[in-house]
Amino acid sequence: MDNALNRAGMKKSFGRSLLYTLPMSLITFMIMTGGRLNFTSPASALAMVVTLLFVNILYFLMHYTGKTDKFRAILFIIFALSLSFTLISKMMAMRNVMSFSQADILECKIPFCHLVIPMMILPAVFTESIIFPGSIIGGFANIASMVVLWLVATLVLGKGFCSWGCFYGGWDDGFSRIRKKPTIKKISEIWKWMPFAVLIMVSLTAALTLIPTYCDWICPFKAVTEFEQVTSVESATKAGIFVSLFVGMVVVLPVMTRKRTQCSFLCPLGAVNTVSNKVTPFTIKVEKKACTECFKCVEVCPLFALSAEGIKEGKVSVFCCKCGKCVDACSKNAIHFGIKGVPAGTMKNFSRNLFLFVSFLFIAVFSSGSIINSLQSFFNLVF
Amino acid sequence: MKKIKIIAGITWAFICLILITILFPGLNSFSASAAKLSFMKINPNYTGGEVTKELISASCTLDIRKPVFDGLFRERNRGFVQIDWRGNIPDEIVDTIDYDFDKRPDFCILIDRAKSKTVLDPINSKVMDIIISTPTSYGWAVRVELIK
Amino acid sequence: MADSFILGLSSGSACLASCGMVMFPYLMAGAANVKRIAIDLSLFLFTRLVIYFILATLAWYFGQALLNNQLARNVVPGILYIVFAVMLVRYSISKNLNQECPVKIVKAINNRRLVPIFLGIVNSFGFCPALFIILTKGATQGTLIQSYLAFMAFFIGSSIWFLPLPLAGKIRKKEVLKTIGILATGLAGIIFMIKGITNLVGGIING
Repeated sequence: MDNALNRAGMKKSFGRSLLYTLPMSLITFMIMTGGRLNFTSPASALAMVVTLLFVNILYFLMHYTGKTDKFRAILFIIFALSLSFTLISKMMAMRNVMSFSQADILECKIPFCHLVIPMMILPAVFTESIIFPGSIIGGFANIASMVVLWLVATLVLGKGFCSWGCFYGGWDDGFSRIRKKPTIKKISEIWKWMPFAVLIMVSLTAALTLIPTYCDWICPFKAVTEFEQVTSVESATKAGIFVSLFVGMVVVLPVMTRKRTQCSFLCPLGAVNTVSNKVTPFTIKVEKKACTECFKCVEVCPLFALSAEGIKEGKVSVFCCKCGKCVDACSKNAIHFGIKGVPAGTMKNFSRNLFLFVSFLFIAVFSSGSIINSLQSFFNLVF
Repeated sequence: MKKIKIIAGITWAFICLILITILFPGLNSFSASAAKLSFMKINPNYTGGEVTKELISASCTLDIRKPVFDGLFRERNRGFVQIDWRGNIPDEIVDTIDYDFDKRPDFCILIDRAKSKTVLDPINSKVMDIIISTPTSYGWAVRVELIK
Repeated sequence: MADSFILGLSSGSACLASCGMVMFPYLMAGAANVKRIAIDLSLFLFTRLVIYFILATLAWYFGQALLNNQLARNVVPGILYIVFAVMLVRYSISKNLNQECPVKIVKAINNRRLVPIFLGIVNSFGFCPALFIILTKGATQGTLIQSYLAFMAFFIGSSIWFLPLPLAGKIRKKEVLKTIGILATGLAGIIFMIKGITNLVGGIING
């Protein structure tokens, strides 16, 4: 397998890998520091340095080893963990509890999350307002910034946002890697269409009730961020639902299937990102003449984007999140990162390098805030 | 045709590269521009509606907001009016509210802050019940359900 | 009304998936032009509307007679919502979704003009789980007008799916749309199950 990678030029020498990492290092340094080296404390300086080194070492390793998914997943999972840590510690510092109160809703103090976006669209069109108790501009996770970030990221990455951007995806990605072999191997293809059904239902209910129903009733990630105070039967039911969904869809099922079941079967934003997959220039391509139809790629794909029939035809579905797991699994380098318009089997190296730069830059900067924050808290505790 | 597709694909990929590179440094200004779009305001069902009258007393200020009946296409039959008390508010609040400014009281409200108890005495038949009564960072807020 | 509309919209897709392709040939039979199909479809939908108004009236009167205290008004509908919602979820994931649509009984009718009316009657009395849910809702409404409005919202939601029926032959990816529609039906069932649980528990706690 290493020989196959070597021939295709995915794996680079130490020197070349360093050269590829240099622009990433410079840009991440400039963006993360804002071009200024004034830190509030030694802990914050150390946190910044460690984060910069960490992300750039991962990027270096992607080029040096020729592997993508393993290093992407490390950053992706740490992003999810650090964001939850950051949010929970902020809430504990402000309120001493993980739950938000009615006052927080009245004062529009709820941090915005991109999962709200599909539900906002119809009400925004008809009522010219945002149905979320957050702040439009200023403060932590304001609506305007999050919308801009998501919009650009989804145009550029398409459903790649689900593997290189979403700060919740790391949870089920992480749990899906715990076991070496799945205990549930056969899952009906029908369920991969569930996010579209969820999207229709939450969009409609949100539009008719003017409440972001996915956030209010369903979102499993409230279990690791913040949730409504339990003060009534309704709020207790909501708590029961999101806890059950977190345990079932984010922990248990990914462990048993080695698939990202929350992302594949529930997330309505994933359904929207599937549409934007048509717009992004980056894609995964199958070089039919190199493919031996071992279907290892189909087996490892976490989002049901590949099928035996599709691979035989050289097709990858719109569900592909460009995580790179299939690319890393293929011993013949027949499945590879590509650019739309460029024939399969050509410009593999160039396509991979360009995609990696774009996607890694996004996740490195997007995640840096919460990683630095978490490290700073850790260093403050330890030193 | 094949060459055009290749050039178009690579060009779009490079444009994406530029977009991602400028995204974070330019985020503040992009967000500021996005915030100016007409739909970028929080729905009154969450903000409580605009303040229509401020009644300033010795210790605190009473804000009476515009009743909110907002629906998706048209106004709903059921809505609410939000009343805020700001500043140095007493432990017990007793107020008679005229939310529609027709010089006739609409409801009386009694708030015992220590016991977190709120009692509503509707005068106007359109006043139904308390939806929310909660301490806030600025004082106290109450939402009273109304029908049209 | 919003939940009734959504119930109609989501269950209408499953109804169309199972019955639509049976009704379509009847609608297209003979010298079918756009005007003919529009008239047939209108008769079909009008018949459904009339039946729904009758059912709304009956449901409301039954509700008034049987659910005559606060406890009954919360607990009984709560239980019924849960039961019918489970049925709706089963209905949506059932492998027998392609079973005989009751509309096939219309084969016995020879009169071309009566076909849409009989289609409407039989479709309305299909008594799928979604209809049971809306009957329960109708029974719990405070006034008869509210019961009518709930059924009207359900009717509008479910009828939207029948409107493009004459163009069915031209729609690509029908299987995908059918799958999404059936999954949405299951989700609607879950929504009512949660509503039922909330009603039931709330009713028990509040006495």
